[in-house]
Amino acid sequence: MNWQNVATIARKDLAIMMTRRSLRIALVVLPLGLAVLFSQIIAHGNFTADELPQWLNAFLFFFMIYTGALPATIASYSMVGEKVERSLEPLLATPASDGEILLGKALAALTLPLLAMWAGMVTLMALCDAFTHATLGYLYFPNWMAAVTVFAVAPLLATMAVAFSVLVSARVSEVRTAQQLGGLAAVPGIGLYVGLVSGAFSLDLASLGVMCGVLAVIDIALALAARATFHREEILTRWA
Amino acid sequence: MIETENLIRRFGNVTAVDGLTLTIAEGEVFGLLGPNGAGKTTTIRMLAGLIGKTSGDAWVAGCRVGDPATARELRGLVGLMPEEAGLYPDLSAARTLDFYGRLYQVKRDTRAERAERLLTMLDLWDRRDTRVRTFSKGMKQRLTIARALINDPPVLFLDEPTANLDPEGAKTVRDFLLQLKEEKRTILLNTHQLTEAERVCDRVGIMHTRLIAVGTPDELRGAASQQATAIQLAVVSDAVVAAARGVSSARHADVAVKGSTITVAVDKPERDNPELVKAIVAAGGEIQFVTALVPTLEETYLKLLGSEKDEQDDKNKKDLR
Repeated sequence: MNWQNVATIARKDLAIMMTRRSLRIALVVLPLGLAVLFSQIIAHGNFTADELPQWLNAFLFFFMIYTGALPATIASYSMVGEKVERSLEPLLATPASDGEILLGKALAALTLPLLAMWAGMVTLMALCDAFTHATLGYLYFPNWMAAVTVFAVAPLLATMAVAFSVLVSARVSEVRTAQQLGGLAAVPGIGLYVGLVSGAFSLDLASLGVMCGVLAVIDIALALAARATFHREEILTRWA
Repeated sequence: MIETENLIRRFGNVTAVDGLTLTIAEGEVFGLLGPNGAGKTTTIRMLAGLIGKTSGDAWVAGCRVGDPATARELRGLVGLMPEEAGLYPDLSAARTLDFYGRLYQVKRDTRAERAERLLTMLDLWDRRDTRVRTFSKGMKQRLTIARALINDPPVLFLDEPTANLDPEGAKTVRDFLLQLKEEKRTILLNTHQLTEAERVCDRVGIMHTRLIAVGTPDELRGAASQQATAIQLAVVSDAVVAAARGVSSARHADVAVKGSTITVAVDKPERDNPELVKAIVAAGGEIQFVTALVPTLEETYLKLLGSEKDEQDDKNKKDLR
């Protein structure tokens, strides 16, 4: 693996993404908008000190699920965009390997949404702390639950969305269709949301650990499938 | 520099390239002519290490095509200009070349130097920081040539480099190809433009899934088409026609008269024309002009393709029986 090639491809994709106004807006407005909205619900929800920890954890978790759509959107642009512009052939003609191209594109698709998610989560936690400090008498965030959610569950969920988008991109030739199908990557997140709301499981470190394990297995399976799909010959003879 | 031996590529039941055997010497510009679906792009993709072969062998710049051990090296030694420009509309020309230069492991200083030289030569230097989105078709085509050359490859594969360009754009690209020829790069050029092949290529091959004919444009014209000499006379008499027929009868009985011009089919103009002129003068003919009627490459191409199609039709009919 030539990491310089991976970095070159990721940087190029990031540069292209940053030229798209709609993406820039989505990356800023969605996480910050949700952070403000959720913190306002917490601020005006009249929750007691006993209820607050549970709600704060839940809102941080919901936030992660909602913003999980971002990586799928970006990955669709990255993969299908190349297809639409017919730019994969010259890229595949370079000495970069299939794996380096795929990893570079995946990293680019992950980086911005993940940074946006983290920025939104930090904003949400800061606002929640500001609104709940008086009731709780201490700063609820940061804590271990939040750390696992932000630094383990969120990247695993984002990776799943990107790997799934690569698989979808191999079958479609329009960015919009890829995005719509890529939305299916949100299904496991919605499942978690429903499970949490219905009381099927509770949010604690143990359940988050299990979640991380399951997501990691799904990620590995999807990444292997994406790697198998992203094959030079396959791309040139069947993707078009 | 490029060698193929019975190279075959099939897609399911369809044979895209059928037993291609070809040798292209170092510094040679070789044109591959053929209609759409003739297997030209598939050939280039195989030789550039983009897709595999079904069978046969091929070597490019010393690397065996299809060998995973040398695949990366092979791609680093060739420059490819695909049929579709495939540029990133949101990158500038300079950024585009920098991106590809990095992937070809070209050092920073060399990269910058080479990008400047190429963009200047292709008249894009003033627009180096402009997004490709705003470029005309001709500018994009020139940028794809610069992209194919950023790694300074000894072997270049150009797929329809002047397709869809206006005459001025096509001329700029063609002039640049001539410049590349002077640099002694080995070039495999796929084209529909027969005049382009004639002007730029040392040899051409006519392809229709298999290679129908190979040679210099002159050789192909001579091999595939009847050459003729047109002689304009003050007056065409029966004696003159008989004299012409006498000269050509041993080889061809083709003598046509139109107005004051007779056209005589000849095998070798340099051998037959003096004899023809002597015979006509001896028969009392007063010659005003003698013109060699050389078939164009286009006529040769169409004739060879026509014969190939007839052969294919016959074969298909036999297979059906």
